[in-house]
Amino acid sequence: MAAFADLDLRASSDLKALRGMVETAAHLGYSVVAINHVVDFKEKKQEIEKPVVVSELFTTLPIVQGKSRPIKILTRLTIIVTDPSHCNVLRATSSRVRLYDIIAVFPKTEKLFHEHNQYFIILMERNTTNHPWIPGMLLVASFIKCKMIAVLKDFVSIKEVACTHLDVDLVCVTVTEKLPFYFKRPPVNVAIDRGLGFELVYSPAIKDSTIRRYTISNALNLMQICKGKNIIISSAAERPLEIRGPYDVANLGLLFGLSESDAKAAVSINCRAALLHGETRRTAFGIISTVKKPRPSEGDDDSLPACKKAKCEG
Amino acid sequence: MATLRGLLETPRHLLVCEKSNFGHGKSRHRQLVETHYHNYKVSFLIPECGLLSKELKNLVMEMGPYYFVKNLPLHELITPEFINTFVKKGKLILSLDKDTYEETGLQGRPSQYSGRRIMKFIISIDLMDLSFNLDSKKYERICWCLKEKKPLKFDFLLAWHQTGAEESTMMEYFSKYQIQERQPKVAMSTLRSLQCPVLQSSTLRGEPEASCGGPELFDWLGAVFCDVDLNNEPNSFISTYCCPQPSTVVAKAFLCTVTGFILPEKIHVLLEQLCHYFDEPKLAPWVTLSVQGFADSPVSWRENEHGFWKGGEHLYNFVIFNNLDYWLQMAVGANDDCPP
Repeated sequence: MAAFADLDLRASSDLKALRGMVETAAHLGYSVVAINHVVDFKEKKQEIEKPVVVSELFTTLPIVQGKSRPIKILTRLTIIVTDPSHCNVLRATSSRVRLYDIIAVFPKTEKLFHEHNQYFIILMERNTTNHPWIPGMLLVASFIKCKMIAVLKDFVSIKEVACTHLDVDLVCVTVTEKLPFYFKRPPVNVAIDRGLGFELVYSPAIKDSTIRRYTISNALNLMQICKGKNIIISSAAERPLEIRGPYDVANLGLLFGLSESDAKAAVSINCRAALLHGETRRTAFGIISTVKKPRPSEGDDDSLPACKKAKCEG
Repeated sequence: MATLRGLLETPRHLLVCEKSNFGHGKSRHRQLVETHYHNYKVSFLIPECGLLSKELKNLVMEMGPYYFVKNLPLHELITPEFINTFVKKGKLILSLDKDTYEETGLQGRPSQYSGRRIMKFIISIDLMDLSFNLDSKKYERICWCLKEKKPLKFDFLLAWHQTGAEESTMMEYFSKYQIQERQPKVAMSTLRSLQCPVLQSSTLRGEPEASCGGPELFDWLGAVFCDVDLNNEPNSFISTYCCPQPSTVVAKAFLCTVTGFILPEKIHVLLEQLCHYFDEPKLAPWVTLSVQGFADSPVSWRENEHGFWKGGEHLYNFVIFNNLDYWLQMAVGANDDCPP
C-alpha cells in the first residue's frame, strides 16, 4: 500500500488550527502532509516568511491511522506569479526559499505557465564552472527538443531569464475561475519529462458550487493534454473539515477524468515523486534529473562539494 | 464522454460460485478451507434457530488464542529453531513496495498488478529449503539482508496449529518481545422477522419465481451482515436494497460472528459441525458459513497474490443445505488472482 500524502494544508498564524488539521489528516490516513505558505507578489512588497517549525507544532507527532508510524510534516512554499519579475525570488541563492521542502508556483498567465517549463536546461548549465556550455546544451536540448533557436541567438538575456526560471516541484492549476488560457501540449510534456507535477486542489470545490464547475472543467482540460501523468490532487484546506480521506480524493480524481490507477497515484505515487524532486533540488545543486521519476542517488549527492554553486555572472 | 463511461464502471471484482455435496469424493471443500490462510472473520447464520446448540457454542468459544507481537524483527522468522518448532514446511512471502525492496536487496519478482510503474514486489523465501541448507550462501545472504542491510521490524499476529505434543509454546518462544495472547471476539445475535430468499440446492443460478441464485444470495447475505433494512423504503438514505424474490419471512435467525486471527483447521471443524446440524430434522432449509480474509494479506488462497486496490476483500461463503449439498462462493476484489 502506498503512502498517501496531502501536499497542501494552508498555513495560518493560528497554530492550534494547524495542529487540528494535521491531526485530522493523520486520522484519515495520510502519511505525509505539507504545510503550505502562499506568497502573492501582486500586493505590495511581500517577504517570504520563514516556514513553520514542525517541532513547535507538535512535541509528539500524531500516528497515522492504520500504520504505526507518525505522520511526516513538510513545508512548502507556493508563489503566485503574475509577472516575470516575481520569479526573481526563486533564484537558487535565495536563502529563505531553500528552507522549504517543496516549492510550487502558481502562474496566472499563459506565458508564465508555458514558458517556465522550457528553459530548464539553461538552468542546469549555469551552475557549472566550466565553459563552454553551448555544445553541452545542444546535446541535452536535442534530447528534449526544446526551443534551441532562442537560446543561440540571445545569450546574455537568456542567461538572465534563465536565472529567473524556475526551479520548482509543482505547478498549480487554477480552479477558482475559468481557465484564462488553454494548455499547450509541448511545454506540458517538457514539464512532465522534467518531473514537475501539476496540482489540483479540491477544497474550494467543497465550498462553492460554481467553483466546483470550474474545478472539473479545468481539470478535464488538463487531462486532455497531459493524459493524467504527474497529477497531484490536494486539499487547500484551511480548516480540518475541508480535508477528505485519501480514497475519497482518489474517487474525485475519477471525476476529473483520470483512470482508476492514475487517480490513486495522484494521491500517493505522484506526491512521492514530487517530494523526491524537492529533495534533489535541495541537496544537490547543479544536478537536475531528467528521468521521469526523480530518484536521487545518494552517492552523487554526497560527492558534490558545496563550491559547485556558481554565481550567475560566471 | 469517456469520463462518464469510466464512471459507470466499478472496480474489478470476481465471484466464483460452485455447487457440490459434502459426501462427494472429489469435493474440494476441505482443500479450499485449508489453503485460505489468513482468516479474519468467521460468521454463520442459521435461520429458524433461536439458541445455539452446545457443541457449536463450545466450538465457537474455543477458536483458539492468537498472539500479538510488537516489533518483531523479520530475521527471527528464518532462524532454524523457529522453522523447526513452528513452521516445518512453508514459505515466507514478503510483499514490499519499491523502496523497501530495493533497500533489502533480496531477489523477488514484480507484482502482477503493476501497470506502467512497478511499485510492488513479491519476495518468496522457501523455509524448508533454507532449513536444510544452513550453510549455503543463499541462507547467509538472506540472513545478512534481513539483519544488517535492512532490518525490518513489524507487529505480527501469530496463530499456530498445535499438532503433536510439543511443550514449547509461542508465549515462551517470543518472551523476549512483547507478546500478548488474545482471544477472538465473539458476537452473537438473534435476528427477528428476517426476510430470507428461497433457495433450491439443485439450481445454482436460480429459477425466476421459484428460487434465488447464488449471486443474489451473496448480496443478501452481505446486507444481513451489515445490518441493513431489507425493505426498500424509498426514503431510506442508507440503502434501497430489498430482499431478492421469492422470499419467505423467518421468525428468528441466529447470527454469530467470530473476529480475530482464525486458523483454517478450526474453520474446517466448524464446517463439519454445521453439517451435523442437519443430523436431526430442523426447520431451517439451509445454513451459511462465511469467512473473510484480512484486507491487506499478501496472499489469498495458497500463493495467489492478493492486492489492496480500493478494498482488499477476499472471502468465501458456504451455503449448506439439509441434504448436505453445498454452494461455495468465493469472491475477490481488484488486484487479485481468480480463486481456485
